[in-house]
Amino acid sequence: MKDEQSRESSSPLYGLVILVVTVALGFAAALAASPGSGRQWPATAFLGLGLGAVALYFGVTYLPQRRARHQAERASRLAERWERELVAGLEQLQAGDLVRSPEQVRGLPDRLATAFGSATRSLGALIQQIQNSSTDVATAGNAVHATASELASGSSQQAAAVVEITATMEELARTAAQIAGNAASQATLAAHAEETGETGVGAVEEALAGVEEVQKRISAIATRADTLGTRSKEIYRVLDLITEIAQETHILSLNAAIEAAAAGEHGRRFSVVADEVRRLAQRSQESVESVRNLLEEFSSSIRATVVATEEGGKEATRVLERSRAAAHAIEELRGALADTARTARETSLATEQQRTASDQVVLTLKEVSQVIQRMAEGLKHFSGTAERLNQLALNIQLLTQSFRLDAPRSLKHLCERWASDLGSRVGQWETAEMQLADLVAAHPFVEVAFLADGRGTMAAYSVNREWAGGRPATHVTIGMNLQERPWYQSVARDERPILTPLYDSILTGDRCFTVAAPVRDQQGRFAGVLGIDVNAKSWTKI
Amino acid sequence: MLYPCTMTPLAGDAAAVRCLLVSAGEYLCAMPLNQVRRVIAALAPHPLPSAAPELLGLAEFGGEPMPVLDLRRLVNAPAGATPTHPVTVVVWAGPPTGRELVGLAADAAISIVEVPAIAVTGASRGLIAGEALVGERPVRVLNLEQLGLD
Repeated sequence: MKDEQSRESSSPLYGLVILVVTVALGFAAALAASPGSGRQWPATAFLGLGLGAVALYFGVTYLPQRRARHQAERASRLAERWERELVAGLEQLQAGDLVRSPEQVRGLPDRLATAFGSATRSLGALIQQIQNSSTDVATAGNAVHATASELASGSSQQAAAVVEITATMEELARTAAQIAGNAASQATLAAHAEETGETGVGAVEEALAGVEEVQKRISAIATRADTLGTRSKEIYRVLDLITEIAQETHILSLNAAIEAAAAGEHGRRFSVVADEVRRLAQRSQESVESVRNLLEEFSSSIRATVVATEEGGKEATRVLERSRAAAHAIEELRGALADTARTARETSLATEQQRTASDQVVLTLKEVSQVIQRMAEGLKHFSGTAERLNQLALNIQLLTQSFRLDAPRSLKHLCERWASDLGSRVGQWETAEMQLADLVAAHPFVEVAFLADGRGTMAAYSVNREWAGGRPATHVTIGMNLQERPWYQSVARDERPILTPLYDSILTGDRCFTVAAPVRDQQGRFAGVLGIDVNAKSWTKI
Repeated sequence: MLYPCTMTPLAGDAAAVRCLLVSAGEYLCAMPLNQVRRVIAALAPHPLPSAAPELLGLAEFGGEPMPVLDLRRLVNAPAGATPTHPVTVVVWAGPPTGRELVGLAADAAISIVEVPAIAVTGASRGLIAGEALVGERPVRVLNLEQLGLD
């Protein structure tokens, strides 16, 4: 572009030279073509016209063009300056330094500078808004993560509790099933007992009727035995009468024998008759005795029968009473068995309903358990999503932190500001430790603040005790060489604040990143690097 | 009640005497049939004051008073079972020349038996003339002629 401008600025001069050369060559040619003084007027005229043309060209073309070229050159130099400022501003902008970027374009025309500043401020505002939004998102994500984690933990515990409840309910269901089975068996047994009770009542009633019939029969037997006893007494009286007759016959036969003996020979035949009568009387007596003996046995049997029938009657009466008592008891027992059977059926029905309800509860609990497990898994997923959201917000925050803003949340600006304050301590680094301690105390998200001198040697550092938690910071020591660290090299090379990617902190084991800014001496020369390790877990506190 | 006759009569023996067999206590006594007047059911004698123990009293027989003697006491027989059909045997007591009717209260009149004559006319001059076996049981044969003399 400069060549083009150069070409554009030198073209009038070339035209003037060409015109002068053309006039000179034309004049020379005219002189050569008209030798002699008389024919020199064309050459003179040509020269006059040529000079006139040259003068005209000089006045009309060359001078304005030269003036214009000078103006163009001034404009070009101004544009170059603006370009440099703009480039510097854009480079600062490219480097994310929205603080220095407007400073770089102060030489630009007001409208451009204003527009640049406005754009930078808008960008800064946008970045701040993004920072705030990412912080809000991270805060919300953390809250969601915490809530989801708590809910997931609660859901897990709830799922475990539901599993235990399900197991208990299954055990309860099995117990209910056993109870239902036992109740059904009991109902069956009770029904059988009820039937048996009814059968028993019928049997007892039959037995009662039988006992009553036996009692009647015994009474009849007793009556007949009494009749037989009465008849036996009559027989005894008859036997006594027969005995008496036989005795009298016996005596009569003896007297007949006596009379026959007194009659001598005449009474011999009568004696035989008397003897036969005596024998007959004796046989009668013997028969009577036999009958009496038989009758004694018969009477004894009858008495025994009477006694037996009386005892049998009494026993039958007792049996009847007992049977009636037994019938009454069995009747009550049947009623109790009926009540028991009804209760057993109701119990069986209730336990069956309980078993069904328990099974339904178990099914419901299993469904609840599955839902809770799915919910726990969803919450874990949700928690993971919240964590990823938090990570995304952190990434956004880190992206926004790559810009340096004139804002309290801009870590680069913060680091630059503290580095600027440390500029007064160049060469007296031992006094910087207190300032680093102030930095750590003022910003709780900082794990370690350290200062490396211009040769990359650790000059001072301060460790946040809250993050250290009593652990010794063995990874930082005075005098350790940091020259090979990429962040140091980047800051030393570009003299701009930088932001490292996330890495695992040696001090806490958490994810962290380092913000580093150049420390300049009073003359603005590079004198060292201030670094702060920011714990990513508390980046929302920035 | 009559006692069953367990004695074997001495049939066809000329030296035998027909006797009435009675029981008195645990003894069996035989008295010649020709000295027996009547056997009747036991009479109820009217006791006599200050009478001998063997004299039960006086009873009426044939319209006349008749002394009734306790045969068991006469023969000193031990008391036996209570008789069911006691009898009073009316006999001729005393020597043939001065005999009289006397009632002997016995427990039972059993039978007519034949007793060897030697037993009836034994050497004893007391009431019991002798003893004989009727069947397998000893029988005391009474000499009623001595009854009035004692």
